[in-house]
Amino acid sequence: MTQPGTNPPGAPLSALEPWPETVQWRPVSRSLITVELINRATWVVVVLAGLGAGWWFNRHWFWPAAMALVVVAAIWRSVVTVRAVRAWGYAERDNDLLVRHGLVVRRLSIVPYARMQFVDVTAGPLERAFKLATVQLHTASAASDAKIPGLDPAEAARLRDRLTALGEDRAEGL
Amino acid sequence: MTAANARPQPDPPTPPDPTPASLPAATPQPGPTPQLAATPQHDPAPLPGPAPQAGPASQTGLTQPVPPAQTAPILDWPGTNPAYQSEPPTHPSQPAGPPTHPSPPDGPAAYPGLPDGPDAGGRDAEGGGPRAEPRRRLHPLSPLLNGAKSIAVIVAALSWQTLSQVGLERFAIVVAVLAVGVVIYSVIGWLNTGYHLVGRELRIQDGLLWRRNRAIPLDRLQAVELRRPLLAQLTGLAELRLEVVGGGKTEAPLAYLSVKEASALRERLLALAGRTPGSGEQATAEQAPMPERPLFRVRNRDLVISQLLTPQAFFLPVGVAFVVTQFVLEGSWTFIGIASTVTAMAGVVLQPVRRVLQDWDFRLGRDPDGRLSVRFGLVETRSQIVPLNRVQAIGVTWPLLWRLQGWLHLRLDIAGYAGPQSGGDDKRSDRLLPVGVFEAGRLLVWEVLPGVDLGALPTAPPPRRARWLHPFAFRAMGAGLTPEVFVARTGVLTREMTLVPYARLQSVRVIQGPVQRLLNLATVYADTAGGQSGVAKDRDVAEAWWLAEQLSVRARQARGPAPLVTSAANEPIDAHWQRPDYA
Repeated sequence: MTQPGTNPPGAPLSALEPWPETVQWRPVSRSLITVELINRATWVVVVLAGLGAGWWFNRHWFWPAAMALVVVAAIWRSVVTVRAVRAWGYAERDNDLLVRHGLVVRRLSIVPYARMQFVDVTAGPLERAFKLATVQLHTASAASDAKIPGLDPAEAARLRDRLTALGEDRAEGL
Repeated sequence: MTAANARPQPDPPTPPDPTPASLPAATPQPGPTPQLAATPQHDPAPLPGPAPQAGPASQTGLTQPVPPAQTAPILDWPGTNPAYQSEPPTHPSQPAGPPTHPSPPDGPAAYPGLPDGPDAGGRDAEGGGPRAEPRRRLHPLSPLLNGAKSIAVIVAALSWQTLSQVGLERFAIVVAVLAVGVVIYSVIGWLNTGYHLVGRELRIQDGLLWRRNRAIPLDRLQAVELRRPLLAQLTGLAELRLEVVGGGKTEAPLAYLSVKEASALRERLLALAGRTPGSGEQATAEQAPMPERPLFRVRNRDLVISQLLTPQAFFLPVGVAFVVTQFVLEGSWTFIGIASTVTAMAGVVLQPVRRVLQDWDFRLGRDPDGRLSVRFGLVETRSQIVPLNRVQAIGVTWPLLWRLQGWLHLRLDIAGYAGPQSGGDDKRSDRLLPVGVFEAGRLLVWEVLPGVDLGALPTAPPPRRARWLHPFAFRAMGAGLTPEVFVARTGVLTREMTLVPYARLQSVRVIQGPVQRLLNLATVYADTAGGQSGVAKDRDVAEAWWLAEQLSVRARQARGPAPLVTSAANEPIDAHWQRPDYA
């Protein structure tokens, strides 16, 4: 059992679905797609305006080419975003919180409640407009990233309260 | 322990007698040794406030009575100083009148009235009850010492260039004026700095224009260090540094105290920090100066040779040859030119030299309470005390050139540890063994993480298809789960190994990049609070999930069944960290 390499039978092979029998993954809100798209659209408009100004002053083929590139990249990123938001997920187990995200680089974080130092709940203006909030769990290690965006405010509050309650119960310091 | 019986336990590498023939025993020495000396240390003076201007606060600071130049603390200071009456309400001054504790700090025995309960400190001490101690000041010589450091920094900043432009005389005048200013500023800062113990908190006030009151809960103390830079050694002073988690820099450097006062305060802080509800009384009562048990001493000859075996030392002759040929070809032998070159060269050469000076006379021991005590340094002697349950991870390094000698380097990861210049690793003060043979490393690892035998740590290599990602490093990579620690190996030229005790895991991450996905591989990170993660690179995906699951389960089990305690000080797994057999 202690020898790595000898895997228990029935080990999951999917990169996104570990332990399918014990873990109930919960998705984040689909409104996060809209928020992300609006964010990206804003940036694209700003960049396009800059490039357009460049074209106005200097009629070089470089400017429209760059603009086309930006548009194509934005469309591609948007497609990825839609899928990436669907890939976000979190699960509360008895002793730890699981967060998975990422499509190109897939990440899964396992953070025991006992190691929690504090919980952040944030909501930017755009997120607030769509009734979303972000919960982030911090541990003493700077490397831990347990961030769950796109939560309903009620769900964010519930998660925050539950995390802090569990953290207090199981607090063991460092 | 989780799976302690899963495989036969290796023989303990060392019996309790810690002095094998090859390891010369350290002579127990209670205090930092005064040493011979060379150059002053360039520490940015931590104590003076933001800018050297005399604002209104400093005016009031000047009006307060100058205390007699004694090592005894100033007792009647709060209450008489208008600057202190406008303090934030977190630190109400002592009740007017004479302080209740007129005795100087002689050690923990002098304070029998400290709270005993686990949660008695800190909260009820507000309002200056009988438990609150009088505020104390730093040693009266500290402003001079701090000033001297700043002057050295200023001279270094002015550089040769300025000297050549303005001439020696003006240069001296500028330096002198700045020096006087800095000293005056430091004196004012010193008048406004004080510390005292309230319950289980150490409170420190400082700052001139922006006053700062910090309360440091001793539960969270990670390590305490006593530093004595050259000037402090000459004057018999010491700087006390407390390491707490959070904050990139050392909190609360108390610079300077007299050595006696500093070590007494350190003992008290550690006694308070390590106190659990059951052992409340003994912790303070039994602080008789028991001798610590020496563990290991690094031979200075080995240290020098090891630093000669670094790339910098090898490139030195090349650099010197380059400079000399350049001068010969150019034919310019001005003083400034040479001085600048020497300064530039010093930057490169200095690192090995500095390491030798820092790690000189490296001694390790266990104090009576089982804590690790580390002393080292030539120009600046340092003496750290680290409770063993604060060790987050151990890093073992085999640099390429050291492998000829069979030497290795051990590093302790302690949460919150960051040197004054936390960027460079040579300034970090968390080494466990600067250089030593394998047997010495094995002994020390066994001491710090009981039950972990450096010679018997099985690791499994990643699957063969990981060769596509690491054609050269493949053979050096590996990861393994032992009953006590998670082991990860990596590195071709400089071989490294990270040992993370399960009880110190903060979180576990599994990350899979696009190329890894093609190869069905994933990387597992075991994060600790020390900043160094144990990384099992490029494992098979199924194995990675299994590793992650095992790590989180073992981390939970190593901590014991989740106890319903709210105080972070009661580490329930202390038994896990007990010394193997001489406890």
